[in-house]
Amino acid sequence: MTPSFELPLVIFTILSQQAIGLTLLYALRTAGRSARPEPSARIQWLASAGILALGLVVSLTHLGHPEGAPRAVIHLSTAWLSREALLFGLLVALMAVTGFLGAVRALVIAAAAAGLVALFVQGMVYAPPSFPAVNNALPFAFFLVTAIILGAGTASWFAPQDRQPFLRRILVGALVAGLLLFLISPCIWLSGGAIMRLTAVAYFASTLYWAHIGVGLILPLLVVLAVRRIPVWLPVLLLAGALCGRLVFYVDTVHSAVNLGGVY
Amino acid sequence: MKKQLGFYVDAKRCIGCFTCAMACKNQYQQEPGVIWRQVYPLKEEIYPHHERAFYSLACNHCEHPACLEVCPVDAYSKRPQDGIVVHHQEQCIGCGNCIRSCPYGAPRFNPVQKRAEKCSLCWQRLDAGLDPACVASCPTNALTLIDLATFADPGAVQFPPGFPKMGRLNPSTRFRQAELPKIIKREDVS
Ligand code: SF4
Ligand code: SF4
Repeated sequence: MTPSFELPLVIFTILSQQAIGLTLLYALRTAGRSARPEPSARIQWLASAGILALGLVVSLTHLGHPEGAPRAVIHLSTAWLSREALLFGLLVALMAVTGFLGAVRALVIAAAAAGLVALFVQGMVYAPPSFPAVNNALPFAFFLVTAIILGAGTASWFAPQDRQPFLRRILVGALVAGLLLFLISPCIWLSGGAIMRLTAVAYFASTLYWAHIGVGLILPLLVVLAVRRIPVWLPVLLLAGALCGRLVFYVDTVHSAVNLGGVY
Repeated sequence: MKKQLGFYVDAKRCIGCFTCAMACKNQYQQEPGVIWRQVYPLKEEIYPHHERAFYSLACNHCEHPACLEVCPVDAYSKRPQDGIVVHHQEQCIGCGNCIRSCPYGAPRFNPVQKRAEKCSLCWQRLDAGLDPACVASCPTNALTLIDLATFADPGAVQFPPGFPKMGRLNPSTRFRQAELPKIIKREDVS
């Protein structure tokens, strides 16, 4: 994306999606079970809050005037960015309270629901008309898949043994979905307008794009299928792959103004 | 219809001399690399003739401005009396969201101020009874100021080839398209 390459936003979106993924995966794997939280629930929820808080702090560094950040919530009527700032601020508090209160069921469900809404809002921030390739539901789909992949991977550090097979199945499903999504989307752009085609060509020509596909999706999938568990080092690989994919999203998604005077 | 000022870009008259872009630079003394008005040559796929044609483009002062909608600190306003989209730079926190979101690339990042900025349609000059600096400078009258409430040129187009079609924003710029010259070849001369 133009005009500049925004590393703080790459880190913020990835960390926030990891935190929301942890939240979603906790809510999913404890659904329908006895109301007792997992033994490591507190530390897991506080970790989610910490990861999201770290992401928010990093996101401030992309502002020209970080001291004005509190004002970023004043335009809720039309600005998705204001909604994102408010929602993520509330979410970090909700995650921390859920951790301190030992993962009370009602709070777990509320945090998971708020996390899903936050992912949707974040998707809308990155779907402006100036990027025809992603002026649709794709950013939300990218972010949701990334959240589930990173959430399932990271949750394997916290979940008890009897819930590891569940996490493994979710991770395999999300990796397959991610592979299809990230491979098929640029192919569809190839059949779109000039800017969409430029975006597809830039993605396919990017080493980072293939690093994401290879290191972030295919390799983890093969590893999990081969060893039938989530190795302790795998979440690091997943994180590295997701960072590569997000860099491509920021750097190679083409802006409609690059071809003024040419075919749009 | 309410008064809505906009630019009329006459691509038939424009000779690509960049005087309008220079006049803007002269008026506002932007930082190096920060450009509010730019003259874009039409690419060959749109205008296949060796004498080029041009669009002089800046902010389009849209009816539904993406910049205004996406700004988290509400640093943009649309003047009710003439529809000019004004950026209030002192409120801007430099998040870059308007720069990313405007499909026409009008807002730019000022690396010294660390805030966005864009064409103001010279509202201070207009309020003083003057033309915008770019309009006043154009030697061929290819760039003029129009009010869409009274503008009635049936030949004018809103989305010519080479200008992204963004109907929802409803940009206020209108164009007269460039025409390819009539080429007459003598058969008896090789
Ligand atoms: S052209 Fe861009 S900056 Fe100008 S009013 Fe429209 S959306 Fe805003
Ligand atoms: S860069 Fe400034 S004007 Fe543009 S959206 Fe951010 S705060 Fe608003």
